[in-house]
Amino acid sequence: MNPIQETLEDLRHVSGVKGCMVVTHDGLVVADSLGPRYRQDIVAGLSSYLAMTTNRALAEGGLGKFDSFVLHAAHGKSVFHDIGEAVLVVLMDQFADLEQGRHELQSAAQRLRRSARLG
Amino acid sequence: MNLIQRLKIWKELRRLEARVREEPSPSTFVDLGQVFLNLDMQERALQAAEDGLLLFPDSAELKKLRTVARRGVDRARTDELRARIEKNPSNRLYGELVAILAESGDAGSLHATCEEWSVRFPHDAGPFLWLGQSCLQSFYRSLASRDGIEAVAALERAIGLEPKQVRARVLLAELFYRVGATQRARTLLDAVPSEGDDSELQNLRRQVAAARSLGSDVEELLRSAEENGLLPNAPPTAAVASRGDDGIAAIRDSLAAIAEMEGVEKAAYIRGTRALVKGDIKDGKDPFLRTVRVVAKAGHRYSRRLDVGSFKRGVIQGPFGVLCICCYGEVLAAVQCTTDAPTDRILAELQEVVASSLYAMGVSQ
Repeated sequence: MNPIQETLEDLRHVSGVKGCMVVTHDGLVVADSLGPRYRQDIVAGLSSYLAMTTNRALAEGGLGKFDSFVLHAAHGKSVFHDIGEAVLVVLMDQFADLEQGRHELQSAAQRLRRSARLG
Repeated sequence: MNLIQRLKIWKELRRLEARVREEPSPSTFVDLGQVFLNLDMQERALQAAEDGLLLFPDSAELKKLRTVARRGVDRARTDELRARIEKNPSNRLYGELVAILAESGDAGSLHATCEEWSVRFPHDAGPFLWLGQSCLQSFYRSLASRDGIEAVAALERAIGLEPKQVRARVLLAELFYRVGATQRARTLLDAVPSEGDDSELQNLRRQVAAARSLGSDVEELLRSAEENGLLPNAPPTAAVASRGDDGIAAIRDSLAAIAEMEGVEKAAYIRGTRALVKGDIKDGKDPFLRTVRVVAKAGHRYSRRLDVGSFKRGVIQGPFGVLCICCYGEVLAAVQCTTDAPTDRILAELQEVVASSLYAMGVSQ
């Protein structure tokens, strides 16, 4: 198992996490650990759409790029971390405690950033 | 449905009609309406919903029943009109059909029917007037310049075919005024005889006379409205303005309080095409407004397509600090703040602003 996949598998064990994925800005899946509920191509497409649209809107407003984006929807939460050429996407249930998982998410993003640089 | 099933339903119907009289409640009316729907008696179902709503005006179930029944009634009526148009097409029948489609909000069918109508009756202004109204509605909702340009083309075509067409002139003048082409709006309104003006038209004339012109290139002005996400001139109808004012005063105060919070740089409240801003924002053209609008829209799409319900809140961190967005439907409140600002408290305040504005609009019911 490569280090990126390993990091994602570890992240899956964090409370409230239902799936995670590393996807490039143009929607290519680098690695994923999604449960049976999610389809890889749909999550990748939607995540790249949201990340790219948000970055474009921020750039047009003279704000640059995002480092992290936490999205709260009625039935779930999604966290996006910029890791250079790609984005770490973490799908969580609506009751997940973001504060509790913050450290794990940030250290996973850091490890992935490092792996992406080495790769 | 076989005869025995039908008899059973009729028996159930009699029982429910008696129950509605003896122990009226939203669910008894809904049950009765449901049986009428099963029997394909849409008008009776609509009647049951209307009767129920007289007694229980806030019942969500009854409102849903009314919507379903009305859709059924409209469908039956449009099928009938289409059959009559097939046999003997006329302007009147097309007008009736398009009016129903407009009421039901079926823009796709409305456009197709107007196209068919204009092919069969090329000298009639009716299809272009309806088409223009439909495109205008889309434009005011989304501010997409393409819709605005289509509305202008359709309404100008309607005026070209029927120069005395007052409604098309007024709608076009209102659009010109709203995007800032005041001079062109004035020219259009001058050609409308002032005898018999209703209060809305009088109000529009007054506002157009007082407004400053921002140019005469309507396409350019429409594009600029889309880019800025704002119309230079607010809706002219007194009713809209007065209804919004009460709620807006309270929202303005709440927004000012949020802008005063530690670390907050910009704060905005956006509802449809209107925006209130506080903090380090000069006017409605600040790019912050467009950024939060686009992010909220993308968040909505993402959440809906991922099947996790609607987008409620977003917290975006970057070199610019933190953007907090809170929204419900077309209402959103957003803040740009520093990384050390209390984002949880800010989000709670933003949520409060959105919720109280929805309450003021009556959406929460």
